[in-house]
Amino acid sequence: MKRRLISWLKSFFFWELFQGLRVTGRYFFARKFTIRFPEERTPKSPRYRGLHALRRYPNGEERCIACKLCEAVCPALAITIDSEEREDGTRRTTRYDIDLFKCVYCGFCEEACPVDAVVLTRFHDFHFEERGQQVIRKLDLLKLGDRFEEEIATDRQTESKYR
Amino acid sequence: MTDDIITIEIDGRTLQARKGQTVIQVADEAGIHIPRFCYHKKLSVAANCRMCLVEMEKAPKPVAACATPVMAGMKIKTRSEQAREAQKGVMEFLLINHPLDCPICDQGGECELQDLALGYGKDVSRFTEAKRVVFDEDIGPLVSTDMTRCIHCTRCVRFGEEIAGLRELGATGRGENMRIGTYVKKAMASELSGNVIDVCPVGALNNKPYRFSARTWELSQHAVISPHDCVGSNFYLHTLRGKVQRAVPRENEAINETWLADRDRFSCHGIYSEQRIAQPQLKERGKWRKVSWDEAIEVTVERLQSVIASRGSETIGALISPSATLEEHYLFQCLLRGIGSSNIDHRLQQCDFSHDETMPVAPWLGMDLNAVENLQAVLIVGGNPRKDQPLLGHRLRKAALRGAAIMYVNHRAYDLNHLAEQYLAATCDDLVIQLAAIAKALMQKTNRAVPDALQGLLEQVEVDEQQKTIAENLHKADRALVLIGSQASLSPLYSYIVALSHCIASLASVSFGTIHIGANATGACLAGALPHRKVAGTADEQPGLSAHKMLQSARRAYLLFNVEPELEAWDTATAHRAMHEAEAIIAISNFASPTMREYADILLPLASFAETDGTYINAEGRWQSFTAAAKIQDDAQPGWKILRLLADRLNVSDLAFNSAAAISKVLREQCRNVVLNNTVANIKLPQHDFSAHNRRLQRIADIPIYSTDAVVRRSLPLQQTIDGMEADKASIHPQTAAEYKLETSEYVSVTQNGNTIEFSLQLNEAIPEGCIWIGLGVPGTEALGPAFGDIEVSAS
Repeated sequence: MKRRLISWLKSFFFWELFQGLRVTGRYFFARKFTIRFPEERTPKSPRYRGLHALRRYPNGEERCIACKLCEAVCPALAITIDSEEREDGTRRTTRYDIDLFKCVYCGFCEEACPVDAVVLTRFHDFHFEERGQQVIRKLDLLKLGDRFEEEIATDRQTESKYR
Repeated sequence: MTDDIITIEIDGRTLQARKGQTVIQVADEAGIHIPRFCYHKKLSVAANCRMCLVEMEKAPKPVAACATPVMAGMKIKTRSEQAREAQKGVMEFLLINHPLDCPICDQGGECELQDLALGYGKDVSRFTEAKRVVFDEDIGPLVSTDMTRCIHCTRCVRFGEEIAGLRELGATGRGENMRIGTYVKKAMASELSGNVIDVCPVGALNNKPYRFSARTWELSQHAVISPHDCVGSNFYLHTLRGKVQRAVPRENEAINETWLADRDRFSCHGIYSEQRIAQPQLKERGKWRKVSWDEAIEVTVERLQSVIASRGSETIGALISPSATLEEHYLFQCLLRGIGSSNIDHRLQQCDFSHDETMPVAPWLGMDLNAVENLQAVLIVGGNPRKDQPLLGHRLRKAALRGAAIMYVNHRAYDLNHLAEQYLAATCDDLVIQLAAIAKALMQKTNRAVPDALQGLLEQVEVDEQQKTIAENLHKADRALVLIGSQASLSPLYSYIVALSHCIASLASVSFGTIHIGANATGACLAGALPHRKVAGTADEQPGLSAHKMLQSARRAYLLFNVEPELEAWDTATAHRAMHEAEAIIAISNFASPTMREYADILLPLASFAETDGTYINAEGRWQSFTAAAKIQDDAQPGWKILRLLADRLNVSDLAFNSAAAISKVLREQCRNVVLNNTVANIKLPQHDFSAHNRRLQRIADIPIYSTDAVVRRSLPLQQTIDGMEADKASIHPQTAAEYKLETSEYVSVTQNGNTIEFSLQLNEAIPEGCIWIGLGVPGTEALGPAFGDIEVSAS
């Protein structure tokens, strides 16, 4: 009888509602987790695995030697490479495609690369507008490399002691 | 023989071994792997890499497994502490000077050093001094060099000495300063030079045309058969995303052992030539228009039917490449006979067909290929197997090294890689007379009768010492062969050559072999791609015209199956004219040269040898089927499909096959009772006056090694070799050059049949006096006349 009365009083005075509102109230005044995304960004680890890039040497020469180890190690078969002998007798890629729909961002390609050419940058918020754009080509990868080179270089520097 | 078997123990396993074997051979047979670099089962033992060190019980230190003969009761440990330590030590030494450039090395992934370094190498090098750097040499268009990677196993040096028979590569210097290279800077000229790529355990010698185009692990491997010569070498084509990248040998002890001729290895680089036909095309008012297959077939059928309706079916001529597959030969002749024409031939380079009726069902070597190396005497008439069928040449060389007497009767001397006697005949008459004299010498020796047809000729000739020696050599040998080489068919007196060679072979009671140009001449004959014979050698009641005749008496329409008659025919000028004068030329072809585009009316793109299923029958009569290795380029179709489609539209019945295998099955059934036999009975010989002496300058010809067929002619790396570059030169004896005042001229104008062409001139003592040698099948010779005949020269 007593339990029934308490239960009736609780529902009459919206007890559960206030209980809930207490949580709301607590978080209303607490420090916020959310950020205003494009303007504000969370800090990222130097090991973050975002969009790929192809790096160059400081003298502007592309690093990639078309050894195709990244293509071989890729578990999602996302990388396609064609190679040829360049005029100076070195092997270079004529095509370096990464299919971002296939890619699982495991970072094996970066691990496999003997010359640190292909890297995964911290850049992750990219989008496509048309089908076909998800295959990212050599020139775009090199451009990304140029754009983020400073960050890539410092990240690799800080991580070098753990590798 | 049981005394020769001894028992040894390797890694605790008791194994039977023959005396004289080495430890590594016994281990290999038992499947126990001992690491090695310098040891190669086909080469002599050098024992200089020391990688195969193993522990032998009761021996104070490890022994080299490749150089240690087995002894009874011997106990070997290949994985004991001592053996492992020795092997690891050797590996560390090898890696001292080897660059760590596997990612840019083409050998990476199939490298013996890389594989063994994984098992025996250390993680970190203890070597901190400067590494050795060796400058590369340019050794030709086929083999690339990265000599810094060389580990001095000397396999390539031994290959050159022992297999190729040319000491092209050698080692100079000692220890740290040892270098492998050509002594004098020059290109490798061997027709087997590509094999150094395979024997090299590291990336020092590599495939140059393939350089940097793919990595080994991404290639898919497809077994195919050589489409260039009648040896039928087995090899693999490696493809990347359906495109052929390179060729590597496939071991077959009975045919090519572990080797592959350069022609087979590098011809695949011609497949994707710019002249490859991509789509069916029709010529309309002199302009080419790309059309669909349906339209192309429809127009082809219309053209053929209108020629048949207006002029009769016998005005259609059909030429097929001797290197087409068996299935293509079969469908081709069925199609032509189905529409009423028997003018079918694959023997474009032949001009004397007078013995057709009596010729054997199909030419063949007369023995197995590996029996050739055990011969004691070989007489080769008209041919140079070293260049024509390089791996047959290799077998002959083996025989020569075992002491066989190898004799050649040819129109020119060849550069040989073994000891041999070469007898030269300046003219075709002379060659026949020489053969007749050999036959006569044998006849006198054996007192046997000769065929009636030859008696008159034999009476005319006189025997000299040379011919007696040849006869003697053949007579005294237990195992001997008289072989008509593939170049003999170029002679206008081919029937005499066949009759006399057969006569010589039967007088001396030795084997008799005939080999023809192309990969599948034996198959072509069995399939009935001949004007006078149908499948399996059954006679055609209404024989058609032979290749030469159908070009001479021009036909109204020609059906060409992967041939370029203006280059490949015996009389190129006549062929060229016949092509231009015909109403309709339908070319089913891989490639269309500008010349072909001038005369052809319909081009039907044909899948190349790498893109079709098929069967080849080699010189020993071995049927070898293969399936397509690569994706078909563009809109091409396999030959058997095109021919089947044409047959269907032309209402030729019974050709509704659904696969190449089904065709070869039917053919095999029909050829069940055919036994290859070269015996020539009741040969008919044309009348010929051997007493007449022609004092004018004569052209002599053969088909240079890299001019044999359309793919080879378009393989750039092959054309850049020494053999390829010299093919389009005219060669003349210095004496004859002086006679015609040519000794100082670099170029010469050659006139044949009223057409004049300029050639660069080469003075060559290998050419008999009174002759000029100009190759057949060489681009640029279209306007010249017959392969043999009168010719005029003047300095230009």
